Amino acid sequence: MRLLTHNLLSSHVRGVGPRGFPPRLQATEVRINPVEFNPGFIVRMIPKVEWAALLEAAGNLHLIEVPKEPIQGYEHNEEFLRKMHHVLLEVEVLEGTLQCPESGRVFPLSRGIPNMQLRDEETET
Amino acid sequence: MAVVPGGPRSGPAARAQFFCTAGRGLEPFLIREVRERLAATQVEYISGKVFFTACSDLNMLKQLKSAERLFLLIKKQLPFPVSSVSKGKIFNELQRLINDDPESWLNAISIWKNLLELDAKKEKLSHKNANPLKRKVGEDDTAAKKLKTEQIQEIQETKECQLEKQIEEKLLEQGNFITEEGKFQELQNDVMEAADTRNQTDLTFRVSCRCSGAIAKTLTAQEVGRVIGIALMKQFGWKANLRNPNLEIFIHLSDIYSVLGIPVFRVPLACRAYIKTAGMRSTIAWAMASLAEIKAGAVVLDPMCGLGTILLEAAKEWPDVYYVGADVSDSQLSGAYDNLRAAGLKDKIELLRVSVIELPLPSESVDIIISDIPFGKKFKLGKDIKRTLQEMERVLRVGGTIVLLLSEDHHRHLKGGEASSGPLNSQGGRTEEPGGEECLTPAGKAAVSEPASSSFVAGNQECLDRMPPLGSLVPVDCYRVSLGKTDALISKYKKSSSPGR
Repeated sequence: MRLLTHNLLSSHVRGVGPRGFPPRLQATEVRINPVEFNPGFIVRMIPKVEWAALLEAAGNLHLIEVPKEPIQGYEHNEEFLRKMHHVLLEVEVLEGTLQCPESGRVFPLSRGIPNMQLRDEETET
Repeated sequence: MAVVPGGPRSGPAARAQFFCTAGRGLEPFLIREVRERLAATQVEYISGKVFFTACSDLNMLKQLKSAERLFLLIKKQLPFPVSSVSKGKIFNELQRLINDDPESWLNAISIWKNLLELDAKKEKLSHKNANPLKRKVGEDDTAAKKLKTEQIQEIQETKECQLEKQIEEKLLEQGNFITEEGKFQELQNDVMEAADTRNQTDLTFRVSCRCSGAIAKTLTAQEVGRVIGIALMKQFGWKANLRNPNLEIFIHLSDIYSVLGIPVFRVPLACRAYIKTAGMRSTIAWAMASLAEIKAGAVVLDPMCGLGTILLEAAKEWPDVYYVGADVSDSQLSGAYDNLRAAGLKDKIELLRVSVIELPLPSESVDIIISDIPFGKKFKLGKDIKRTLQEMERVLRVGGTIVLLLSEDHHRHLKGGEASSGPLNSQGGRTEEPGGEECLTPAGKAAVSEPASSSFVAGNQECLDRMPPLGSLVPVDCYRVSLGKTDALISKYKKSSSPGR
């Protein structure tokens, strides 16, 4: 699971609603994959990024050189875009957990795929 | 659709007439493709076939995503009058297909050879660039080597696509290693034995025949194949070879046309080299993605992705997009992961293990949803499909697009569920939808008049009329497609802003 995906995820445990975002990320195995840099794609993703969630996750993974926020004129700033490319797409969590910040429910993450299936009693309505 | 920068190219190959077979219902997609990708002209279609003229080489032709197989056209003409005519008379008519007009046949074969040689030249060029020290290979030899590769592929034709691909890859590998003189000589000898393509009279061939409609009551495919085969041997001196021919001739006699062609590729276009294990039909998966208005920078979700066929087809065509696939089944996700890796698309597609009725995504966070709703009893109709659609509706942003593949039952259920409570619109019923006109357009663009086209158009309008709105999801387009034994409906919705939900 890459951090761009983590940035989209929200716990859906019953009663939790928007407080289920973002799930707390802990990793026991992380892999760095080189991915072809595509500035046009990164530029389009920047507006969708939830920064607080990204910084929290990056912090939990002890990543360095993570931009704190979109800088002015980021569309043309290759250094910024490359850093974002690295953080969002090249860091892959292979083993770990995601925890619902409201209910405490822990979801496992294995072989790069998070399992966020809920048991019946946990589902909304 | 992604078009090569600079627009569709008129390629270096000579102008030629082609036709493609297509699953019923996919014809409008294929028509659009040949026009946009190949700048095709004289586009015409009947149920299950699209005819066109283009100047494309093999690489360009391989790009067609909604076709089953591609053929060079030898001949197309009105069907034989069969009703009150003797078998002998029909046999005479069949023989005349060859004897009255041998030029059409020779012309088609020469185009076929040119296409192969053009492709072989390009391969040689890329090998040369890769290793300039490699021994220089003669042009005829390269074409012959390619033919040999194709012949070996032919043997596997009846087996699974996957097996074919493995062998093809292996042969190409072996082909690349032929630099030493000894090995090369060996291969060259093999080729000389199998077929000498420079001399046409040594061409080996096989006839594949299909009969449908009125003529099928009078003649069998085998009889037709035999008559044509003998006539070809007499006219051109070719030898028949059922197991391992150079050339395959395809004949389809129906109530609408008699069509003769040469398959351009051994492996059907519908069988993708980049997909290790296909889940649903790749042609339909691509067609669905082509309706979803995928733009660069979008977030595209398939919440019931299975082996990931839809995501693979979409990611190949629209690469600058973020794809997420979800499924509840560990084995399916495992298969999907293998597929992504084999296709080199691991970086573009993410997988989640999650249920579609409880998506761990914030509301309005996804731009596009494309999904094949499972058929069969495992997926409980009624309750499950409603919850599924509600959840999809929730995570989709306003203005977003949903494209679903629905069975007849699902469709019926969605329509019938109007009485039930819940956020889904129960007053809906039939909507006068401007989008209804849209789905007429592809058929309308089909150029040359065809007896089949009017019923084709009516079918789409009818299926669009039967799509009720679902909450804030407004039906936009609908295509009935064949899955072989059953039909399904590709249904497109857009999310409008939903007051009071």
